[in-house]
Amino acid sequence: MSYKIAIGSSDKINVDLKFGEVKSFLIYEVDEEVKLIENRKVNDEENNLADIACGSAENSNKAGCGGAGGGCGAGSGCGGAGNGCKGPEEVISKVSLIYDCRCVVCKKIGFQAQKQFEKKAISVFDVDCTVAEALKKITFYYNKIDNHKSFRKE
Amino acid sequence: MAKLLDKQHYKCALGAMQTVQAIERALPILHSGPGCAQKLSESTGSSGYFSPNIFPCTSINEKDVVFGGVKKLESTIENALKVIDADLYVVLTGCIPEIVGDDSGEVVSRFEDSEKPVLYAPTAGFKGNNYKGHEQVINAIIEQYLKKSDKKQKGLVNIWADVPYQDLFWLGNLRELEKLVSELGLTPNTIFGYRRGIENIKKIPEAEFNLLVSPWVGLTNVKKMERKFGTPYLHYKTLPIGATETSKFLREVGKFAGVDEAKVEAVVKEHEDYYYYLIERYADLFLENRVINKQFSVVSDAHYALGITKFLANDFGLVPAKQFVVDDTPKNVQEEIAEEFKKLNYGLEAEVAFETDGYKIHNEIRKHDYHGYPLVLGSYYEKEVTEELKGNFLNIAYPVQDKVIIDDSYVGYTGGIRLIENIYTVAVSRFN
Repeated sequence: MSYKIAIGSSDKINVDLKFGEVKSFLIYEVDEEVKLIENRKVNDEENNLADIACGSAENSNKAGCGGAGGGCGAGSGCGGAGNGCKGPEEVISKVSLIYDCRCVVCKKIGFQAQKQFEKKAISVFDVDCTVAEALKKITFYYNKIDNHKSFRKE
Repeated sequence: MAKLLDKQHYKCALGAMQTVQAIERALPILHSGPGCAQKLSESTGSSGYFSPNIFPCTSINEKDVVFGGVKKLESTIENALKVIDADLYVVLTGCIPEIVGDDSGEVVSRFEDSEKPVLYAPTAGFKGNNYKGHEQVINAIIEQYLKKSDKKQKGLVNIWADVPYQDLFWLGNLRELEKLVSELGLTPNTIFGYRRGIENIKKIPEAEFNLLVSPWVGLTNVKKMERKFGTPYLHYKTLPIGATETSKFLREVGKFAGVDEAKVEAVVKEHEDYYYYLIERYADLFLENRVINKQFSVVSDAHYALGITKFLANDFGLVPAKQFVVDDTPKNVQEEIAEEFKKLNYGLEAEVAFETDGYKIHNEIRKHDYHGYPLVLGSYYEKEVTEELKGNFLNIAYPVQDKVIIDDSYVGYTGGIRLIENIYTVAVSRFN
């Protein structure tokens, strides 16, 4: 059965982007062979909208946003300083963009995003290597477990 | 075909972290999944220095399976060296890194020049149980840390016995063996427990000989030391419990070490006099044959199965039913150990089964005619089946649930008395 892998890379050679930095994911499809099938753009507008929605969550109680309450709204710790983590809402739209993939590969992936991927049983690989190496190792791994084969190096 | 193993009486090789823990100020560093150590940890006493069962661990996950976990291992060792003040660091590997092919040995070798020794013992579960893991840790110390010594210390004896924590009497037993050996005028050297540690490890190559008190665990270690340091070894297969076996033990050690025979006999006599004084005082209790069972079975590792069978048959005149050795004894030594079970006084012979499956053992116990209710000395698993047969049960081997042992011991003359106390406490509480 075929599956998809999402990779964060600026030059299609190295896995050089952090999850937050990715503007478009390289989507590879693995069947008999590995093919680059798509360059999936991250919708910035949607992100901004989500941010706005999140800001007014106190009143609107919008689904997916208002839930986390303390984590999101409460100024200190989590929702505070600009670059810091803003709770699960910040990443959900970006994460949901690649819900159809089996795993995601980036240089670094933050805790919140990892948790969200975990919920959807999408594997997270935060590695520093080339795209080719990542694809090779991941497909080797999935091939083994899908076919109940030993990991022993032949 | 896959087989089921019910109620096994041991853990996987990674359980050897308890062997490391038993060495004062030695720290296991685990290269394994986060669940391994958690599953293996127990509340049977900690090292007395580090927090119980909280060890540095690479906690490898899916990513490390795919991309390899060596980087994580290196940083874990590096940081353990920085933040934990130990004398000896032993890297233990679980199944996952060994299956996916991490070269852990190579990573550990990068720390050869570090201030404190960092050793590597491969303890993947598929390599065997924690008895094997224990041997691996000792082997790692011999191979990677110790060097041959030209200096030999007269009368210095390394004592190797049971596997720490797997045997809950380990501390008391080792101390008692030390005491017996020193009464012969020799200097005992052990590496486990209070105030032993790295200083005693360093003395290992200087010993005159190694004394191994165990049916099979540790045999590869003493053989390795013979090859590497030229230290001869005395392999005493039976754990000496009670007067008969302990006197035999003292005589054999004395002979091997060249201790004056008169001196050995004086030590033996002193102990035996007191031992039999105690026995005689309670002779009426022991001769009251309503109290104690006619036949007994031991379900434990070879160590205790052999020691207790000999004690109860030779010192106590009980008749052995079938004995069960549950430590997954290697096939090549099984016959030799089975022979030992036949060397009992009064022409008695004990039948022994090397069986790891608790289910099969319990069925055999149920089927056997004990000529009355049985006496079963075994692990907690055997409690239920013994209760079912209305027998007497004493928990002496892993897993232990209904007993707390801090430094008690079943070794030697006093150990024999302790065991009698425990057995008769069970027996008399039946009537009262």
